[in-house]
Amino acid sequence: MTACAIQAQGLERRYGEVVAVDGLDLEIGEGEFFGLLGPNGSGKTTTIHMLATLVRPTAGSARVAGFDVRADAVGVRGRIGLVFQESALDRTLSVAENLRFAGRLYGLAGGQIEHRAKTLLDLFGIADKYHAPTGSLSGGQRRALDIIRGVIHEPRVLFLDEPTIGLDIPVRRRIWRFIEGLRQRNRMTVLLTTHYLEEADACERVAFIRKGRLVTQGAPRALVENLGRHVVEFESADVDALLARVQPTLGKGLKEGGTALFLHPHEDTAPLARLQEDLGDLAAAMRVRRPNLNDVFLWIHAGADLPGVRP
Amino acid sequence: MSMARPILAVLQREVLKLGRQRTRLVASMVRPMIWLLVIGSGFGAVLGSAGGLSYQQFLAPGVLGMTMLFGAMLSALTMVYDKESGVMRMLVIAPFAHYWIVIVKTLSAVVAALLQALLLMVLLALLGYLRFAAIDVPLLLLGLLLVPLACAGIGMLAAAFTKTLDNFAALMNFVIFPVFFLSGSLYPITQLPPWLRIVATLNPYTYGVDLLKHALLTGVEGRFAPEFSVGLDVAVLVGFTIAAVTIACVRFSGEAAFDSVIRVLTGKKTG
Repeated sequence: MTACAIQAQGLERRYGEVVAVDGLDLEIGEGEFFGLLGPNGSGKTTTIHMLATLVRPTAGSARVAGFDVRADAVGVRGRIGLVFQESALDRTLSVAENLRFAGRLYGLAGGQIEHRAKTLLDLFGIADKYHAPTGSLSGGQRRALDIIRGVIHEPRVLFLDEPTIGLDIPVRRRIWRFIEGLRQRNRMTVLLTTHYLEEADACERVAFIRKGRLVTQGAPRALVENLGRHVVEFESADVDALLARVQPTLGKGLKEGGTALFLHPHEDTAPLARLQEDLGDLAAAMRVRRPNLNDVFLWIHAGADLPGVRP
Repeated sequence: MSMARPILAVLQREVLKLGRQRTRLVASMVRPMIWLLVIGSGFGAVLGSAGGLSYQQFLAPGVLGMTMLFGAMLSALTMVYDKESGVMRMLVIAPFAHYWIVIVKTLSAVVAALLQALLLMVLLALLGYLRFAAIDVPLLLLGLLLVPLACAGIGMLAAAFTKTLDNFAALMNFVIFPVFFLSGSLYPITQLPPWLRIVATLNPYTYGVDLLKHALLTGVEGRFAPEFSVGLDVAVLVGFTIAAVTIACVRFSGEAAFDSVIRVLTGKKTG
């Protein structure tokens, strides 16, 4: 890893009795594409806001782009871009007016802003919308404009808080290609949060947090491999009875509606076939498949101890 | 980084928006006209004239001040109630200290108020309520600067110390109307009962209206005349504005107000 773009030690934020972020350690290298994953209310947004100097940590420290978030908030803000979950655009202004406003807040000159704005709009394929009213854009176009707004000053670190939330799949893919294009162009560090785990596969590294604590982190492929060789799914009319029968053999299982999920760490699936025979009618169907990032999330969400997890 | 471009950006946006929000502009002209033509005629019939001045002419500085009060305060109070607008998000993440947000918002409130005041003065002149011979131009220019500043200051103070002023009705009832009614806009404050007179004397906006009376009603004597000296008016307005903006700057730099703004913006408590 090269120099650190983001470094947090024991980062904590309390709201009265509630601990939103609880002693988080993070190290993200320059140019890295990093995903912060976790269920709702796990502290993802609060973490981003502390790193972006909008919320003061109640304990711990963090440096972003070489600046301390407490001691030099303005220094940090000058080198980061932040795309909020909700739009930061003024819908009564045009695309050009919004970007001119945003660029000037960073001290950019009008000509420079116009040049960058047109290049970035072109990268998303909406160069023709330069003079359009912001209110006339589609949801995906507005999201792209929000991201362009966040990178108009060419930040070293870009924070994206749920960049594709509420968008349909083709538009989500387009936004991802756009973010990838921006990374190639500007070589910036990107820290994002997302619920759509299949999208987080594109990240070089991800960290899962739960109740404000880091549960596990690593390359998505490594995390998935750590989970085991297979995920076994049983369909059953009585999932609780099935869980009780299978847990002594396969370890802790998860209940997902009418399905029970178990991890099978070995490549050999022959014991699973025998297990299905033993279960008889209790298992209406059994599926064995490779695990994915969603499974990592599910097991973390269930609070299960994962193999290979480092706290 | 120089603050020139950020300030320019905020001011330009304010002017652009004002030009596009026709209803806001029309409302800001209709409101004082209702006071002048409807209320003014009614009270005028009761109060009569004094010192060669009709009640409606006496009311002209009051309605001019009213336009600046509403214009500046509604603009300043977007600090708290304009949550749908994403602009606050852009401002809190911009690379300058957060007290600058108070300063640029104050300045843009002044610009909004000034534009509305100039438009109203054209209307007043066309309708014959401005007595050109009685206008003290340097004092009027001073008033057009200091009154919106003080009004924006009141708005900033309200924004800095409240978390509940989140809708237009609450703002009107608990901030703008009291400030307007408890000033010398509609009646000379010397005519008020003692306790109301004390409240009006403590209201900084009272001195703004008085300054406008000095500017628009020169040579008027009797009960419709200005009630304080120009020096006192200017001193109160300048002193109040500096104090209010400073307090708001400190509040918005500190943890309390700052955090609540962020949490309102992100619409969540934790997570």
